[in-house]
This record gives sequence, C-alpha cells and structure tokens, in this order.
Amino acid sequence: MSRLRQLRPRRWLGQAAFLVFLLSVPAWAPNRFWINVASQALIFAIFAMSLDLLIGYAGMPSFGHAAFYAAGAYGGALWALHLSSALLPLLAVGLMAGASLALVGALALRARGIYFLMLTLAFAQVVWSVLSNNQLANVLGGDIGLISVPRPVLPFAADVSLFRPANFYFLTLTVAIIVYLALAAVVASPFGHTLEGIRENEGRMESLGYPTFRYRLAAFIIAGALAGLAGMLGGSFNFSATPATAFWTTSGLAMIAVIMGGSRSLVGPAAGAIVVVLLQLGLSSLPARGLAERWQLLLGVVFIAFVLFLPGGLYGLLRRRAA
Amino acid sequence: MNLSTNSVTVRFGAVAALQNVNVKVASGERRAVIGPNGAGKTTLFDVITGQRRPTSGKVLIDDADVTGFTVWRRARLGLARTFQRSTLFANLTVAENLAIAIRSRLKVGSRIWPGRLEREVGAEVSSRLEMARLPALRHRLAWRLGHGERRIVEIELALARDPRLLLLDEPMAGLSGAEREAAVTRLRALPEAVTVILVEHDLDVVFAIAQRVSVLDHGVLIADGTPAEIRANRRVQEVYLGGAD
Repeated sequence: MSRLRQLRPRRWLGQAAFLVFLLSVPAWAPNRFWINVASQALIFAIFAMSLDLLIGYAGMPSFGHAAFYAAGAYGGALWALHLSSALLPLLAVGLMAGASLALVGALALRARGIYFLMLTLAFAQVVWSVLSNNQLANVLGGDIGLISVPRPVLPFAADVSLFRPANFYFLTLTVAIIVYLALAAVVASPFGHTLEGIRENEGRMESLGYPTFRYRLAAFIIAGALAGLAGMLGGSFNFSATPATAFWTTSGLAMIAVIMGGSRSLVGPAAGAIVVVLLQLGLSSLPARGLAERWQLLLGVVFIAFVLFLPGGLYGLLRRRAA
Repeated sequence: MNLSTNSVTVRFGAVAALQNVNVKVASGERRAVIGPNGAGKTTLFDVITGQRRPTSGKVLIDDADVTGFTVWRRARLGLARTFQRSTLFANLTVAENLAIAIRSRLKVGSRIWPGRLEREVGAEVSSRLEMARLPALRHRLAWRLGHGERRIVEIELALARDPRLLLLDEPMAGLSGAEREAAVTRLRALPEAVTVILVEHDLDVVFAIAQRVSVLDHGVLIADGTPAEIRANRRVQEVYLGGAD
C-alpha cells in the first residue's frame, strides 16, 4: 500500500504533464493538418475508451462497437442538417443515438465470449448494410452517406467558429476529458467493481445475488452512448456521416487501440487510439506505393508485435516501469 | 429459513443424477449431505441454488415454490453457497472480493456515486477480515492465495451476505489440521437462525457440525437421520463406509 501511495503523486504528475501537452498542441503543431490529426485522434480516443468499458472492465469483447459510432454520426448529422447545429443538443443526440441502438443490439447480451463477439459483429454489419442501402438514400444518403454536415455552434459564444481547427480541437479535447473523468468515476464506483466481478466470474456474481444481465446491459448502453458521442463528433469533424463508419474495420481498429494501449485502464486505450491514428497516417503515406496501399497489413504486423512483446500494452509497460 | 425438495429428479440423458429426492431441512438446522463421489450431492446443491433446473420436482424455500426462480433471486431470499472449486474473483484483492458480497447484501452494487455506504462497506470488510484472522491478506490478489486461504475466503464470501440458508460444498477439502479446526469453530459460531447444509467427506467434521445427516447414493436418498442413526444404518455402512464388519 505504501508503495502505491509513493506511486500516486508520480501518476498525478504524469497526468498533469500529459494534459499540458494536449492543451499546447495547437501552439506548437506545425500546421492546421496536424491539429486536425490531433482532433481525429481524440475522437478515436473517446471511442476506444468507451470500448474499454466493455472489454477491460465488463469482459465483453464487442466487434460491433462501430454501429454505435455510426448511430451517433448519422443521428448528429441528421439533426444538424434538418433541425439545429447547437452544440449541446447535438451532444445529447450523439449520446441518445448510441444508447438507443445499444438497446437494440443488447439482444447479443444473451450470448457470451466468442458468440457475443460474433453476434455484435453481425449486428454492426446489419447496421452497415442498412446505412449503405440506396433505397434509403433519401433519408440516410445511401452508400455516399450524409454530406455537408455543418459544424456545431457553441452556446453563448456563437462567434467562436468551430470551423477553425484549433477551436474544434479544444472542443474534442474538452469532451474527451469529460468522458475520461466520467468513465474513471464509473469504473471506480461500486457499479464498476460489480462489472469487474462479472468479468471475473459471472456465475459467482449471480450466486451472490447480482442480476448480472442488468449490469451487462447498463454497461453496453453506457459504452454505446459514449461511442455515439464520439461518432457525432466524428461526423462533425468530417462534415459527413458515411456507411464506412459502421463497417467492421472501424470496430477492429478500436479493438486494436484497446489492446495496444492496454485494456482496463482507460488511459491505455486512449493512448492506443492516438498511436493507431498516427500509424494509420504514417503507414498510408509511405513513399513506397505498394506498402502505402497495404497499410492495414503493416498495422497488423505492428499489432502482432505488440501482442507478442507487450501483452499488457503501452499502459502495462508504463506500470511495470513505474513499479 | 426452511428448505424442502419435493421429488427432485435430474436426468442427463439416460443417467439420473438425482431420483425423486425428498429432503426437508428445518429452519436453523445443521444438515450434512454425504455420499460417495458421483452420488449427486453437488447436483442437489445446484438444484437448490437454481444453477440447475430439475427435470422434475420442486424446490421450496420457506414453504414457497422457488423452482422457477433465477440464481440471483434465490440469493436475494437469503441463500448463499460455496463451491467445491474456488470461485473467488481471481484478479481482485481479498478485500475487493468481500466488498462485492457485502455490497450485494446492501443492494448498493449499482451505485455510481458511492456515498457514505461505501465507507460502511470498507469498515465491514475490515471487521470480517479480523474475524476470519485474515487481515494480512487484505490487499492480496485472490489468485495469489494458498489453497487453504482460498477456501477460507470462499466461506467468508458466502458469510458476508449474512445468509439465512448457507450451503457449503466440501469446505474442508485441502485444509490443514489447524485451518480445519478454525473453520469448524467459525461455522459452529454462526447464529442459530442460520440454516446450514454441508456436503463434506470428512466424517469427523460432519458429525461435529451436523444435527441431521442425509445420505445419497447414485442419486437416491438412502438414509436420513441423526448422526447416531446414520452411524448405525447398515445400508449406509455398506455403500458409504465400506461395509458393516
């Protein structure tokens, strides 16, 4: 315990330094392109942290998380295109869209382990096929998706344009920090401990009197809502919501981020998300044409290296070094 | 809390793990269930706790039919059990294991804002660790516990729910002499209102704790009586104690 107490100030210092680093990005980023990359990384970090609640804490490895991201992106885009682009309602729409779809996807909760994984994958692919259906193009935009999505407008500061990369970056950073703090509170709460118990031994939790299905459902809905929030920000960032956001590769990238960063830590998956976005960018811009086209293959190699040599991910490495 | 099973039968295909088992356990009674390996003792526990649905028959708790109740609903009625194999939460500490059981009893496991009750949970964890003479293990991860320690924490986990009906599945298995003695003392010190059903191979422990003994053989209840009656029962001696010489 005293060892842990010694480590705690170092942890706080590390987190404070990381916050300062994040706040200073627009000041030292060489150009708008890199500020946009940072925004994209933060949106993906929110998405990865929401998946960590399922994988790391509740022991529910989902391969369909992209569906909730897409729900947020489309929900936000439809709202902004047809109703209003005020920020706060848009954030609420993102949360609600992800949570509502999670309620539908909760059918998969009847299954466990690999069956749960496959059902969530199938569910997301169904969502993808609905979104890309050209017969619904007048509502959802078909395989092109919804385009020309306006950026949100800040409450009480409508003159601060979120079209400026630095302003949008600070918006995503604020949301990412709030999501991190909220998730940190959830996983440290009795509810979070209950989820950990379910991950460790669901049968034992039931025999202790826990209606485990309800807890798994609650975790699924919270994670879906936060993925929807990330999706809403992603749609605003890209000025569009496309069916590709619901495709299984989006879930796969988030899962890679969680594993590379180190699950059951929140910070790890967020860091993993930043690494994945940077790797995606770096590998797809390689000068050798054949390699750039096969960036997923190269990312796969990096992922395998992480699994083999850093099984606890980046966070596990830091924790081992700190201890 | 009283318990009875009415003609409980459990079949796995052609094999009957339990056949028309009728057991009545009075409130506050200490009952042992004995029998050779494969007699159906754990299956009977599984049926009582809801982990397994009987092929036919009923389970009654406090005279109410709970056969259709889920595991967690029966637990909330006041039923707790231990398992033959350790079912502790391996990657959580001993204190966290106990806290999960206590929160379940207080129905605060779903709270996001812990509030004052969480301090009470912490205090109760400390007092339970003291009672079990395990305060040194507070921060140890469950997977790092020795076998005997694990068995004792397993019992404490069940006790932390303040059960009205406690089912113990071979709690003494693998315990050293001293650990066994401490566990027996702990179980004997339980409040009289708690009904205890014990599956145990160690007959010294059975006869030290139980007021009545039920004997299963190949899924059939072959005897039911006081320890003295069971000791004298010729059929029990034949099938379980190795013959009446």
